[in-house]
Amino acid sequence: MMKRKEKVNWTFMKIVLLVGLIVYAICLFGPVIWGVITSFKGQADFRINVIGLPKEWVWNYSQILEKFVVQIFTDVGTVEVGMGEMLMNSVLYAVGCAFFSALIPCITSYLCARYDYFLSRVIYTIVIVAMILPIVGSLPSEIRVARAIGSYDHIWGMWLFKANFLGLYFIVFYNHFKSIPQTYAEAAKIDGAGNWDILLKIMLPLARNTFFTVMLIRFIEFWNDYQTPLVYLPTKPTISLGVYHMAYTTINELSTVPMRMSAAVIAITPILILFLSFHKRLLGNLTVGGIKG
Amino acid sequence: MTKYNKKKKWWKDKDFLFYCLLIAFPLAQFLIFYVGVNFNSILMAFQRIDIQKDTIEWTVNNIKNAFQMMTGSAELLSVMSVSLIAYVVLTGLSVPLGLFFSYYIYKKLPLSGMFRVILFLPSILSAIVMATIFQFFFERAIPTAMSQFFDIEMMGLLENSETRFACILFYNILIGFGTHVLMYTNSMSGISQEVVEASQLDGASTLQEFMYVTLPMIYPTLAMFLFTGVAGIFTNQLHLYSFYGSSAPGGISTYGYYFYAKTKMATSVAEYPLLSAMGLLMSAVAVPLTLGVKWFLEKIGPSED
Repeated sequence: MMKRKEKVNWTFMKIVLLVGLIVYAICLFGPVIWGVITSFKGQADFRINVIGLPKEWVWNYSQILEKFVVQIFTDVGTVEVGMGEMLMNSVLYAVGCAFFSALIPCITSYLCARYDYFLSRVIYTIVIVAMILPIVGSLPSEIRVARAIGSYDHIWGMWLFKANFLGLYFIVFYNHFKSIPQTYAEAAKIDGAGNWDILLKIMLPLARNTFFTVMLIRFIEFWNDYQTPLVYLPTKPTISLGVYHMAYTTINELSTVPMRMSAAVIAITPILILFLSFHKRLLGNLTVGGIKG
Repeated sequence: MTKYNKKKKWWKDKDFLFYCLLIAFPLAQFLIFYVGVNFNSILMAFQRIDIQKDTIEWTVNNIKNAFQMMTGSAELLSVMSVSLIAYVVLTGLSVPLGLFFSYYIYKKLPLSGMFRVILFLPSILSAIVMATIFQFFFERAIPTAMSQFFDIEMMGLLENSETRFACILFYNILIGFGTHVLMYTNSMSGISQEVVEASQLDGASTLQEFMYVTLPMIYPTLAMFLFTGVAGIFTNQLHLYSFYGSSAPGGISTYGYYFYAKTKMATSVAEYPLLSAMGLLMSAVAVPLTLGVKWFLEKIGPSED
C-alpha cells in the first residue's frame, strides 16, 4: 500500500531554510557545472566565450589521458610519470591505506571491547585523550621518522603510517562490538570454538557492514588526498597530486583552463560514481555522542 | 567479557596470548608513529642540526626564536589574526547554518533527502579539484558574467586583495558542511518523538522547538564538534595550498597553511627544529584552550534533567 505523504505545515522558518538550501545548491553546483562545460571547450573558444556553452564541443579528455605527465626528480635524473602510473599509484595508495586504516581500529577496538585487560582500558583512554588534545606541528618530525625507518617515498610506508587505531572509527567499532551480546561468543566457546574462530567466523562477519562503510569513507579521503603524497611520496604521484601539478605544467597545450577543467573532471568522476552508488551506506548510521572524560 | 586469569601462568593463558598477538602491531605502530613522532618533535624543538658537520647541539634558542617570531614578526602576527578571524567567521556562520540545515533534513521536509546528499557531496570531492574549479570560476567566470550582464568591469575575485579573503572564507563555508550535517542529523534522529510532540502540543513554534527541544538534545554532539574544532585555529589551511600552492599572497595565510608550506619548502632537516619549536608553542596554547572550551561548554550545557 502506498504511504500517504504527510501535509507539510509551512512556517516562515521552514520557508527560509528551504530558500537557504536552494541558494546553497546553486552556489555549489553553479561553478561545478561551469567547470564541466568549460572542459568541453577549445582554448580559442574559451578566450572569447568564458561563460557560454561551447561553440564547438571538444573532447579534451583524450589529450589529458595521452599527454599529461608529471615530472619528478630522482637520483638518476628527471623521470616522467604518465596518467596510467598515477592511476596505479592512486589505487595502491587509497586501497591500501583505506584497508589498513579500517582494519587496525576494527581489531584493536574488538580486543578492547571484548577482553577486559588493563591494557584495553589504557588504550581506550588513549584514544579519547588523543581525540580531545590537539597536537599541532608534528609534520617535520613525522618526515624525519619516516626517513629514519625507511618508509619515506614508499607506498607500503604510507600503509604502515596510516595503520593506526586512533580516531573516531575506533569508537564506532568499539560501540559496535560492545553491542554484540556476550552469549554469541559463549555459545561458540561451548561448541569448541577458539579465539580465532570467534573473531574470524562470528565477530568480523557481524562487523562487515561497518567495516565496509569505514573503508569506503577512508578510501574516498585517501583518493582525494594530495598533500600527504606531496610530502611523503615525491616520486610516486597520485591522480589528485597530478591535478595539483597541472597548475605548474610546462606542456603548453595542457596549461589552459579547459584542459585543467578536463583533468579535474577526470579526477572527480570515479569518486562521484562510487558516492552515488553507495551514498545510502555512506550517509547511514554514523552517530557520535559526547565524549566524557 | 574475557578477564585476565591471575591463577594461570600467562604463557599458558590462550586468551591472553591471543590478545598479545593481535595487539602487538597496533601498539608498536602507536608507539612509533604517535609517541615516537611527538617525542621526537619535542626533542627537535631543542636541537640545532648542523648538516655540514653532521652534529646536533642542544639549545633553547629555537623556542626563543619561535616565540619572538610568533609574537613579533609582522608576517606571523598577520597569520595569527587571519587564523583567529577565519576560526570565528567559519564557526560563527558554519555551525548555525549547519544546525539549521540539519534540522530541515531531520524534519524530513520536501527534498530533504536530496539536500542531505548535496550537503555531503563536497566532503567526498577532491579538495584540489574543487579548488581548481572555484579558482577559475572566481577569477574568470564571475568577472566575465558581471561585464556581460551588468556592464561592470572588475578584477578576478582572488586577484583583488579586497575580495580575496572573503572568497576563500565563502569557499570554506560552502564545502565545509558535510560531516557536521551528517552527524547533527543522525543525532537529531535519535530525539524522542514524544518530547517533540509534547512541545508541539504546548504550542511551540518551529524556532522554539529548534531552540528548546532539538538543540539541547543534540548538545553533546554539538559541544564535541565545538571543542575539538578549537585546534582548527592552528591547523586549518583554508584550502590555500590548493588555490595557491606554496606561494599564497600576504594577508590570507593561516597557521595551518604557513606551517605546511614551510615544512614542504624546507630544503634540509636543519630547518625542522624551528618549525618543531613553533609546533610545540602552538600545542602549548591549543591544549589548554581546548580543555578550557570543553570545560566551559560542559558548564553552560543543559543538565541531564
